[in-house]
Parts: sequence; structure tokens; C-alpha cells
Amino acid sequence: MIALERDRTRTLLAIHGWAGVLLGLLLYVVIATGVVAVFADEIGDWASPIDPPAAAPFPAGLGLRIAELSRQIDPAYVDELNLYPRAGGRIEAFFHRHISVAGDAQPHAEGAVFELHPRTLEVLSRRDGIDDEVQARDASNALAAFLVDLHVSLHLPTPYGYLVTGVLGLAMMVAAVTGLLVHRHLLKELFTIRRFRDALLARRDRHVVAASWNLPFAFVLAFTGSYFSFAGSIGIPVMAMVAFGGNQTALIEAIVGTPPTENPAPAPMADLDRMLADAARRAGTAASFVSVSHYGRADAQVTVFTPPAAGELISHNLVYDGSSGAFVREKPGLGLVPSAGGALAAVMAPLHFGNFAGLLSKSVWFALGFASCYVTLTGLQLWTTRRAESPPWRAAARVVIGVGYGLPLALAATPIGYFAGRVAGVDRLEAPMLLALAAAAALTALLGTGRVPAERNASTLLRLTGAVLLSLPLLRWASGGPGWITASAHGLTTLMSMDAVLIVGAWLCWRAGRPRAAPTALATTGDAAAPLESAP
Amino acid sequence: MSAWSRGLLAGPVVFVTAATVMAGAALWLPAGPAQIDNLVLPIVLFPAIWAALFFYACLDRRLRRAWGLTLLLLLANAALIASRFVGTPAVRP
Repeated sequence: MIALERDRTRTLLAIHGWAGVLLGLLLYVVIATGVVAVFADEIGDWASPIDPPAAAPFPAGLGLRIAELSRQIDPAYVDELNLYPRAGGRIEAFFHRHISVAGDAQPHAEGAVFELHPRTLEVLSRRDGIDDEVQARDASNALAAFLVDLHVSLHLPTPYGYLVTGVLGLAMMVAAVTGLLVHRHLLKELFTIRRFRDALLARRDRHVVAASWNLPFAFVLAFTGSYFSFAGSIGIPVMAMVAFGGNQTALIEAIVGTPPTENPAPAPMADLDRMLADAARRAGTAASFVSVSHYGRADAQVTVFTPPAAGELISHNLVYDGSSGAFVREKPGLGLVPSAGGALAAVMAPLHFGNFAGLLSKSVWFALGFASCYVTLTGLQLWTTRRAESPPWRAAARVVIGVGYGLPLALAATPIGYFAGRVAGVDRLEAPMLLALAAAAALTALLGTGRVPAERNASTLLRLTGAVLLSLPLLRWASGGPGWITASAHGLTTLMSMDAVLIVGAWLCWRAGRPRAAPTALATTGDAAAPLESAP
Repeated sequence: MSAWSRGLLAGPVVFVTAATVMAGAALWLPAGPAQIDNLVLPIVLFPAIWAALFFYACLDRRLRRAWGLTLLLLLANAALIASRFVGTPAVRP
């Protein structure tokens, strides 16, 4: 039991409620899209599979292929090189140089991106330009990137999107902390769902139980999420201003680790394949990202990043001398030697993304994120329904239902825009995806403006979501993707698993969309009012 | 009136104060063995700095004291940052 004076409890309860009511709907959007974004890699593999799938993230022969490609581009771009696996296991090689863009303090990269087949290393596509530009024309990864961008910045311009999601993260943290403090009997409430004839009171108990179990996770997500949002939008620019006169590149170089002494003399690169094999042996797992600085120069440095090995939380960063191929050191993510700041920063990503133990940890994060969505939505419903005697709050209750059940429909509709755009040969797939999202939102709004009760609208939206989810495997196949027989024969397990998840999701939505009796209005009787006293 | 005052304090004033404390910490926090703690820790802990200030601003019964302490933190860190620019060219601490 947490003992707080009555007026402080009341203040905390008010903060808990208003933090949720003022920002709850946007918070719900960010959490729901975050739940989907946990499986961004798998969504990319499902939407743009490579048949047959990749055997390893970076196959043998990659070093020679990269050397060939370095001779095909403007020599000005042959300075930095990033290599990373993308949707379907494709390998992206981004040769670039750092540039400044007028009116933008953030450093940018300009160069050429090659998309390579993970088995044959054949060039599948090439895109030239500045980082934002080449990213916008990345067709194979566009669906996953669209959903991730919706989560991290709500598709608002930089840095405003990050600021908004950062504030939402702070609001979620406030809701989690106040939610913990206002519990009078925390342990008891973890296990209490009372039997009420009134559906609203039962819903209140379910909200409290789900929120109580979810508190630590909600706090971790909120803290790490607001850190990620504010680090780029406020933290780095402000720190660069205070410590480096506004030079963000200098700040990042200082934080990541001082680069080796400059030596611009040309020198052939050592065998990249051997460095990758050595890194895999040292880290106990294959590389997930490679960064080469000063490619083709005597001071070239190769940093190989690997995900955490089994039983570990933190990834490995292994540094090699680019011209000799000699192993130099294993460094922390930040700084050249271990530090408190580096250690704390290193746990932020695995705690937020839940990717430290593969599919298992991702599934747990997905489930806990889903519970956070439930808590946010039921909290909003309790708040608005409790005040439903007032017309503005009645309208707010309809909006909550519209956003709560319309968002899953809009997210499910997004791949329709993606597949349609790919079939039509659209260069930038963001537009058709936004169109699909907006169409679903408009349909939701149209349903919400009618005289139909909000609960029935929720049922309709759930059933529509089920229908759209069911159509996605068919659309994927119809737009040129492999069918189940081919996928099964070639071991495209992610694709088949995702199709199965969509079908099961469709069935669950259809079932959940069965019409039910609406909860009664609140606080209408003395009996009902008492248990709701501590409800949000 | 006091509700508005507290809202102003717990909202924009606390946010600006937290950002200023974060920036000022680059100058007073020890750099640590990797010479990065003073730059990294304030960024990572920004949500915690904000939360501490926010709850303090909401829960302190004496609103004037809450304003005073928050403004003191804001001005002390702002003065430290200003002295950095006025006294010496901005270089790494």
C-alpha cells in the first residue's frame, strides 16, 4: 500500500487523468504504431521477399563486389561506406560523404546507394542523392519505414515530429508514475477483477489490472522513447552548441570515439570478408551493420556491429584497420573505453525495441505494447464515459471510439497503398500509403458522424479491420509476391508466418466485432459511483 | 490564479529548465574515463530531470518556493552556459 495524503492523491489522480485525456489519443497512436514497428524487419521481409531467401546477412564475395562498385561512382562519394541488410535480406551499400545543407544544422550524407541481391550480389537498384532523398525512393523497405516513421515522428517534419512524440513519451511516463502512486492497494489490485453487472465497472477493474501489470513496461517504454525523441531534436543540438560551438559532427565524433589520425594516401582495402568472419567469431554472431570510414585510403577504418549474442543484452562493435585488415579493438557503443554514460546509452535501444533475444523478446514487447494500447484506450473510455451526461464529453467519447478502433483499420489499410503503388510503378511509395491511411481515416470519420451508437461503430470498424487483414496475403500474392507453395518450397518462413498472423488477426477482429451491449452511463447510482472514485 | 501559475510552472517553465539543466550539465558534470559522461549522461537522463522537476512543481504545497527553486536552477545553469560563450570561445570542455 502506498500511503499518500488525500489532497496529494487527488492531485496525482488529476494529473493522471488529464495527462491521458489531453494527449491520450496521440499517445495511443504512437503506442499502437510502436507495437507494429516491433516487427518492422519482419514486415519488410513479408512485403518484399527475396526468393530464395538470404543465407547470411553478408555473403562471401561482398568485399570484391564493393570494390567493383566503388569504381562505378563519383570518386567524391567514395569516402564513407555503410553496409546493412534490408527487406528480404537485400544488402544496401551506401557510398557517401558528409555535407551540410543550408538552413539545417543536422549533418547529412550525399552519395549512391546500391541494393544488392543477398545471394548473387547482383545490383537490384541504384539511387543517388542526399540521405532523405535516397531513403524516400527505397521501394523494398518502404512499408516498414512508413510504419516506423509514423511511430517515431507521426510523419511530421523534423524536428517537430520528434518533439511531439517526445512530449507524448513524457506524458506516458507521468501517467505510469501517477498510476503507481495513486494505487491504494497495489498488490491487491494486481489480482482483482470484481464481478459487476455494470459493464463499465468491470471495464474499470480490467483497466486497473492491465495497467498495474503493465506499469514497469510502460515506464521503460516511455522513458526510452522520450530519450530517443529528445536526443536528436534537443539533446544533440543543445550539447553541440554548448560544447562545440554548434558543430554536431564534432560532437558525434567525440561521443562515438576519436577517429584515427588522417592519412589521405590511397591504399587498397583489405579483405572485407575476412574481417566479417573474424568479427562473427569474436562476437559469437554474424554482423548486422558495417561502417567504413575513408574507404580506399591508408587511414581506412572498418567498424563491424553485431547484435547481442545469445544471453547478452548489448551489441558488439569491432574495429579493424581498413588497409591491413588487422583487428584493432572492441569498443563500447559510445567512447573508446567503458563509461557510465556509454553503458546507460547502450541499454536504451534493446529496452525500447525489445530486440535483444530475437523473436521471443519481440513477441513479449509486442504483447506488452498491446496491453499498453488497451490501457490507454480503456482509460480514455472510462474518463469520457464517466462524464457522458455532458454533450462535449459525449462527443469526446465518440472520438475516442473512432480513433481507438479506426487506427487499426488505417494501419491495416496501409499495405494496400504499398502494393498498389508498387504495381503502378510509383517512385515514392509514401504517397499511396498515406492515401490508403487517409481513406481509412475518412471512412472512420464518416461512420462516426452518423446517428449510429458509438459501440456499434466500434463493431463495424473491427469487422472492417478483419476484412482488410484477410485481404492482405491475397494482395501481396496478386501484386507479384510468391504464393504459399513457392514460399513453402523455398523456405520463406517469415512470409508464411506473417500471412498466418494476418489471417488469425482477421479472425480475432471479426470475433471481437460481434455486437455487444454497451456499458451503462456512469456514476448514475450511488453503488456505481463509489468504485469509480479512483478511476481515471 | 494559483492553478494557472502552477500549470505555467509545471508546463513550459519546467521543460525549459530541464533542457537548460541538461545543457549546463555538460559543463559541471565529470567527463569520466571515456571523456563522454558529461555529454551523454545529461541527454540520456533528460526525461528523468524533467520528471523530477515536473512532480516537484506539481506537488510542492508552497508554490512560491517551487517557482523559486525552479528559477534558481534555470538561472544558475543559464549563467554557466552564458559564461562559457562570453569568457572563452566555445570548445570542448
